[in-house]
Amino acid sequence: MSFALEYKKVKRTGLLPAFLGGGIFAALVPVLNMAFRSEMYTRMNASPVSILLGANWQMMSMLNILLIVVGACIMYHIEYADNAIQKICTLPDRESTMFFGKTAVLITVSILLLVMESVSVFGCSVYWFGQSAELYMELLKNFWFFLLFMLPAVLLSLLTASLCRNMWISLGIGVVCVFAATMIPAQNFVLTLFPFALPFQMSGNLSDNVIRNYAIACAAETVLISLLEVLILKVRRWFE
Amino acid sequence: MSFLSLVGVEWKKIRRSKIFLILLLAAVILWIPSILNAGLNFGMQAEGISPENSFFIQGFMAMAWFLYPASMVVITVLQTQTERSSHGILKMLVLPVSTAKLCMAKFVVLAVFSVIQYLMSIGMYYISIVIVSHAQNYNFFLPPLFVFREIGRMWASSIPMLAFFQLLAVCIQTPVFSVGFGLASIVPSVLVINTKVWFAYPMAYPFFVITSEYGKLAANIETAQVRLVPWLPTAALITVVCLLISCFCFGQAERR
Repeated sequence: MSFALEYKKVKRTGLLPAFLGGGIFAALVPVLNMAFRSEMYTRMNASPVSILLGANWQMMSMLNILLIVVGACIMYHIEYADNAIQKICTLPDRESTMFFGKTAVLITVSILLLVMESVSVFGCSVYWFGQSAELYMELLKNFWFFLLFMLPAVLLSLLTASLCRNMWISLGIGVVCVFAATMIPAQNFVLTLFPFALPFQMSGNLSDNVIRNYAIACAAETVLISLLEVLILKVRRWFE
Repeated sequence: MSFLSLVGVEWKKIRRSKIFLILLLAAVILWIPSILNAGLNFGMQAEGISPENSFFIQGFMAMAWFLYPASMVVITVLQTQTERSSHGILKMLVLPVSTAKLCMAKFVVLAVFSVIQYLMSIGMYYISIVIVSHAQNYNFFLPPLFVFREIGRMWASSIPMLAFFQLLAVCIQTPVFSVGFGLASIVPSVLVINTKVWFAYPMAYPFFVITSEYGKLAANIETAQVRLVPWLPTAALITVVCLLISCFCFGQAERR
C-alpha cells in the first residue's frame, strides 16, 4: 500500500525518467570507453567484467550515488514544499511507514539503474571479449554486491532528506558527503564503511573474506540507519 | 530600481538559508584528507614538485573537479527554491522590474557565492598550512599573492560554468532534472580535460586550469597547457548564450 502511494506521489516529479536517463548515461560510459580505447583493454589479462568495471565503475558509481542523493531530496521535497507532510502526520499511520515506502521506491529505481548498467557491461563483454560461461555468474554476483552496497547510501540520503525542510540543505549535505567519500582511500576497511563510500567498492579487488565482512557491515548499517530514522521521527514528534 | 539594489534584494532573500554552514563544512572537509596525508607530498618531489606546491595543488584540484561545481549547483537550487516556495516569484514578477535584470541579479549573487567559497577554501588552506607545517616540521607556506593569482584564474575560468548552471536552473522547471543534469554533467569533466575538445565543456574549465598549473609546477609531469585562442572565444560565446537564454526564459513558466 505504502509503496504504491509513494510511487504515485513521485510520478510527476520526473524521478523515473531522471533515473532512466541517468542509467542510460551511466551505461554509455563503458560503451564509449571501449569504443575509443578498446585495444588498451582487450590486451589486459583478467576477466572481461573485472576489466570493464575496473575502468568504468568509479564514474558509474559516482553517477549512481548522485542520482540517489537527488532522488532522495526530491522525494522529501514534495512533502515539505507545500506542507503536505503536515497532512501526512495527521493520518492514522506512522510517519516511518512513509519513510520505508520511499525507501522501497528509491531502491526499486536504483535496481533499474543497476540493471541497465549490468546490461551495458554484459553487451560490452560479449562484443569486445566474446562470450564465456562464467560471464553470467560473475555479472550476477557483482549485481547483488552492488545492490547490497547501495542500501546504506539510499537509507542515509533519505534520512538526511527527511530531516531537512529545505532541499538545498539536504542536497548540500549529500554533495559534501559524496565528495568526502571520493577522498576516502579504498584500502582502508573502516573508513570505506562510510555509507556513501561503499558504492565505490568493487568485488573484483576483494577476497571472499573481506566481501563477507562488507556484507555484514552493510546489513548492520541498513538496520541501524532504519532504527535511527524511526527514533528521530518519534523524538521529533514530541517537540512539534 | 538600480541593478545594485536588486542584487542587494536577492542577497537578502537568502540571508537565512544556512548555506554558509554548508559551504564552510565543504571547505573543512576539503582540507582534512590533505592534512592527514600531508606526508605524501614529500614523495611527490620525485615528480619535480616541491611539497608546498604539491599540497596547494592537490587540495585545490579536489575542489575544482567536484566540490566546487557541485556546491554551485546547490546554490542554484537554493535560489530557485526560495523563489518558488510561497510563490515568491509571482510577487517579484508584478514589480515594475525587467525580468532580465532579475535574472542577472541572481547570476551576480551566484558569482558572489563562488567567490565566497574560494575565499573560505583559501582561509582553510592557510589554517591547514599552519597545522601541517607544525606536524611535519617543514614550511608549507606559499605567498598569498601567488595563491590569490592562481585561485583568481580558476575562478575566472569557472564563470561560463556558472552561466550554464544558471541556465539549467532557470529553464528546467522540474528540480530533479535541473539538479540531476547539473550534477551528472560534472562527472565526465575528468575525461573531457584529456581530450582536444575540452574548451567546449565549461564544467571542465576550472579543473583544466588547475591541472595545467600542476604541469607547470611539476617539472616531470606534462599536462596540456591553456591555449587562449579556441578557448576564450568559445567560453565567451557559451557564457553570453547561456545568460541570454536564461534572461529570456526567466519567469516564463509563471507568466503562462
